[in-house]
Amino acid sequence: MSTVETMKDRVGETMKNLRRGRAAFKASLAVSALTFLASCARDAPQDTWQPAGPNAEQIDNLQRPVFYVAGVVGAIVFVAVGWAIWRYRDRGQAIPEQTHGKPVVEIVLTVIPALILLGVAIPTAGTIFKLAKTSDTEMTINVTGQQWWWEYDYPAVGSNAEQYGITAPIVTSGQLVIPENTKVLLRVTSRDVIHSYWIPKLNGKKDSVPGRVHLLRLEGAKPGIYAGQCTEFCGLSHAYMRMEAVVLSRADYDAWIANQLEAYTSPEVGTLAAEGEGVFIQQCSRCHQVNGLLNADGTPIISAPDQYLVSGAAPNLTNLMTRNTFAGASWDLLTPECRDDVWKSDSATFGAKYLKGVTTDCLNQKDLREWLRNAPGKKPMYANPENLAATGGKYRGMPALGLTEDQINSIVAYLLERK
Amino acid sequence: MITTSSKLFYGLGTLSFVGALVWVVAHDGSSLGSVALIFLAISLLFLGGIASYVRDGHVLSTDTAAHASAPAAQSASGNSWWPLASALSLGMVVVGLISSPGIFKVGVALSIAMFGEWMITNWSDRASANAAYNEKVRGWVVHPLEIPVGGALLMTVIVLSFSRIMLSVASESGPIIFAVVGTAVLVSGSLVSVRRGVSKRLVGGACAVALVALIGVGLASAFSGERQELSDASEYDHYAVHPCGEEAEEYDEEASRAVSAKSSVAATVIFKDGELYAEMDGFPDPLTSISLQRSYDLTILFRNESVGEHRMILNYGTVVEDLGGGVTRDSNLQACTALIGEGGEQAIIVRIPKPSSASPQSPYNIVVSGIEDSSIEVLVP
Repeated sequence: MSTVETMKDRVGETMKNLRRGRAAFKASLAVSALTFLASCARDAPQDTWQPAGPNAEQIDNLQRPVFYVAGVVGAIVFVAVGWAIWRYRDRGQAIPEQTHGKPVVEIVLTVIPALILLGVAIPTAGTIFKLAKTSDTEMTINVTGQQWWWEYDYPAVGSNAEQYGITAPIVTSGQLVIPENTKVLLRVTSRDVIHSYWIPKLNGKKDSVPGRVHLLRLEGAKPGIYAGQCTEFCGLSHAYMRMEAVVLSRADYDAWIANQLEAYTSPEVGTLAAEGEGVFIQQCSRCHQVNGLLNADGTPIISAPDQYLVSGAAPNLTNLMTRNTFAGASWDLLTPECRDDVWKSDSATFGAKYLKGVTTDCLNQKDLREWLRNAPGKKPMYANPENLAATGGKYRGMPALGLTEDQINSIVAYLLERK
Repeated sequence: MITTSSKLFYGLGTLSFVGALVWVVAHDGSSLGSVALIFLAISLLFLGGIASYVRDGHVLSTDTAAHASAPAAQSASGNSWWPLASALSLGMVVVGLISSPGIFKVGVALSIAMFGEWMITNWSDRASANAAYNEKVRGWVVHPLEIPVGGALLMTVIVLSFSRIMLSVASESGPIIFAVVGTAVLVSGSLVSVRRGVSKRLVGGACAVALVALIGVGLASAFSGERQELSDASEYDHYAVHPCGEEAEEYDEEASRAVSAKSSVAATVIFKDGELYAEMDGFPDPLTSISLQRSYDLTILFRNESVGEHRMILNYGTVVEDLGGGVTRDSNLQACTALIGEGGEQAIIVRIPKPSSASPQSPYNIVVSGIEDSSIEVLVP
């Protein structure tokens, strides 16, 4: 092979490498741009950079300076490494002098990161202690996780009863309702596996562990709905284990409490809802409790979810239509238009809109009916009756009940009155 | 060329393949057995191929010198104990068939291990014409299995023997024995590590003597039984649910208290100066009414700060008992601690199946046995 041909080959190889390098550069640029653009999403209800309460603000006040310092350090490191790679790339030059040990450089490069870490550690420790404080609690709520929904139980004791009028226990699910500017303490635990409770705009995460009670402060600065998500992988439908915190003004909160404590009223005789009450008693009350529902002999109907479910609990549906979500806050009870009307309302009008609950016009019939028709088909759950040997015949989640369309119509009519 | 031994492998391989087809047909498409049989068939056919390739390792009949130097012509490297061990294992299988499934299972496991060792030793004895090399080959094959299994067995024997000793001696002596044995092991190990000239035989001998002594004392302890309080605990079942009466029961004397004090409890119930109240995280003031979750394993800690022994009782409704013959009766659901002396505490774990609204006639509460005028209301939503 002649020298010219050899040169041509080398040039060709170099050009190929350059083209490959450009393609890789373009691809990485596109990925970086997409990642960056993702941060511009307008509808980001779980954005940790938008605190909406004093506890989340404490975290934000810590994470922002740390992020900026880390960003500057990261930028310096990336630029220095990039410059070194480019400046000292292999061009056939002689290997430079190899040195071992530069005490001054080593000391400086040890002391600077140590000082940075010390600067981060001091406010971090302060924030941890502030977020762990419980002595200023004004209201306490039990939060219990189970596959795959959250139960909220408002104890009718202590300041809950004395200052907020919770004269009888209130049990709800999906949406945690709290008064604005109130230091609420959540007693977080679990009935089955480990979950993690997180409303990013109101505070950090807290694991819910069976047999243990973990405390989490929560406070909302202004009325609104704040979304969250279970952040500890907890089985098949972990991604569907969501939650929302609803912050109401004190007056609206009092109205909400009063509504929750109202006595049960049966549907009017002869209506579709009355028919639905019968179907509910027959099909649903084995697991779902509706407070005030009575047997024919006048005794209360008490659900027995411990006999059918691994977790031993199913959502209490007494005031289902005062909530905006169902099935572990995975689906809205409101149609998209009505949901937007509530979620996007300002602080002044939010409470009134939320307290209206779910009206007939606003009911998301599609998802609710699909759920009643075949719950495991909508949300993956261990609910196949043929595969329950490992759990002693108990379900994880809601099984398909095989309801007829007429039964579904009547149950929907009955549930619409549960508010 | 199909050699003598390859015929066996080919035959077994074909049989396995046919077996896999039969399995699929017989088990309605189930794949588990057929996959295993197909893998077996592939393995056997592979071995058959190797046997054909090396022509069963035969030397030519004309190569008379090779007859003496061939691996197969070498004698075994030494006496083997594996046939005897295999026979004893088989004996254990037979004894187990008559007496108990446990002995049978151990016998089967031992038989497989002993026959395996025997087979590998026989193979390695004739792996080459060099006895030293054969011994090394045996080590390569079986040491990765023998050493960890032997180590695990040795550890099991040590732990079992030591635990028998600790369970039989008085509870006050346990920590002393533990400390003395630990110190002796540490000092001996340190001495061996700093004195380089210590012979391996001496160390091995000392370890063997210590092991024999440990096993001997362990066996003696096992035969003499556990100390009195532990045998009492087993006999009276201290850790089960007991009647919540006022009188002292056997288990009150020795029931576990400190161990059951949990680090995270649903509520702490305190009996002080004749008054009963509760403390719960999140509620700064003492409570005389508490709210507990339903269908949840609640840990409730009882602390007695009054003079004398007291028992905490949680009443959580009634249950209908079927007495047979169509006769039923309502029984109270209760959970209680043992009698706790002044300054003592005990936790109970209880799961309340129904809300308090289910028993309007018998409200849920926490009381102290024998104290009428102080109780804590329990609300279960």
